[in-house]
Amino acid sequence: MAKVAREMVEKAGVNVDQLLELLVKNAAAELTTYYYYTILRVNLIGLDGEGIKEIAEVARIEDRNHFEALVPRIYELGGKLPECMKAFHDTSACPPARLPEDPRDIRAMLQMLVEAERCAVRGYTHICNMTAGKDHRTYDLALAILNEEIEHESWFSEFLGEGPSGHFMRRGETSPFVSKFLK
Amino acid sequence: MREITLDELRAADGQEGRPAWIGYAGRVYDVTGSFLWQRGSHQALHKAGRDLTVELEAAPHGAEFVERFPVVGQLIPRSTGGSTCGR
Ligand code: HEM
Ligand SMILES: [Fe+2]
Ligand SMILES: [Fe+2]
Repeated sequence: MAKVAREMVEKAGVNVDQLLELLVKNAAAELTTYYYYTILRVNLIGLDGEGIKEIAEVARIEDRNHFEALVPRIYELGGKLPECMKAFHDTSACPPARLPEDPRDIRAMLQMLVEAERCAVRGYTHICNMTAGKDHRTYDLALAILNEEIEHESWFSEFLGEGPSGHFMRRGETSPFVSKFLK
Repeated sequence: MREITLDELRAADGQEGRPAWIGYAGRVYDVTGSFLWQRGSHQALHKAGRDLTVELEAAPHGAEFVERFPVVGQLIPRSTGGSTCGR
């Protein structure tokens, strides 16, 4: 544990145990999303599906990066991941992004994807609100993740015909915002 | 509509197999089956068995998520059943 780092956050008035529980829940959401997106991506086939496969893959890899970036902060603050993987899955901050009953229903696939991203956008916005001006490092991390989640939401939202978001698919390296936490 | 007292709401805290009810804007909703309310706990910050009307104001979502769940009844402000004073 980074003792003084935790002390500073406590002193700023953040309930660190509560924050830790929330960070673990969001780490669980990332890793489980990585898993569920693997299945979704594999099933994004056919004339409609292939076009979405690429961004689903980027969103999948970036979510795994989010998991990787969250874990050190959890341990720094004195938290830990559950010993049991099943408990970890069940504590996720977002519902499982299961493969729709009819995987050829690309609209249903997109709906699942955009809802998963929206859940993440909500979660990190809340962590930013809780930590702003108080826990600078968690805030910086949650904001970096939020930046990527908003792009993920935009990609899928555009496919659903909800209107333009001004974003283009990822070019160059994945995780342009979060990568500084992965080095 | 069924009337539910705060005491009844408090008992439906989602723990130890009990149902998970939440109070919102004068109504009581049953979130027992929700993945996000397991054991009556939501996002490490909120507990079932309470009136969460005020807490929802600071949430990163609106009432539309709550309103998807079945209404159990109407929350009445005070406990009925007479005075709890005395013996
Ligand atoms: C500030 C604290 C809160 C946070 C961080 C939070 C976060 C979330 C998130 C991320 C979701 C998933 C949304 C999605 O799928 O896009 C959710 C769903 C939900 N929230 Fe909250 N929420 C909070 C407070 C509340 C409160 C106070 C209530 C009750 C009045 C509430 C009731 C619900 C319900 C009923 C759902 C839907 C659950 C389901 O579909 O199974 N939330 N919340
Ligand atoms: Fe993510
Ligand atoms: Fe994402």
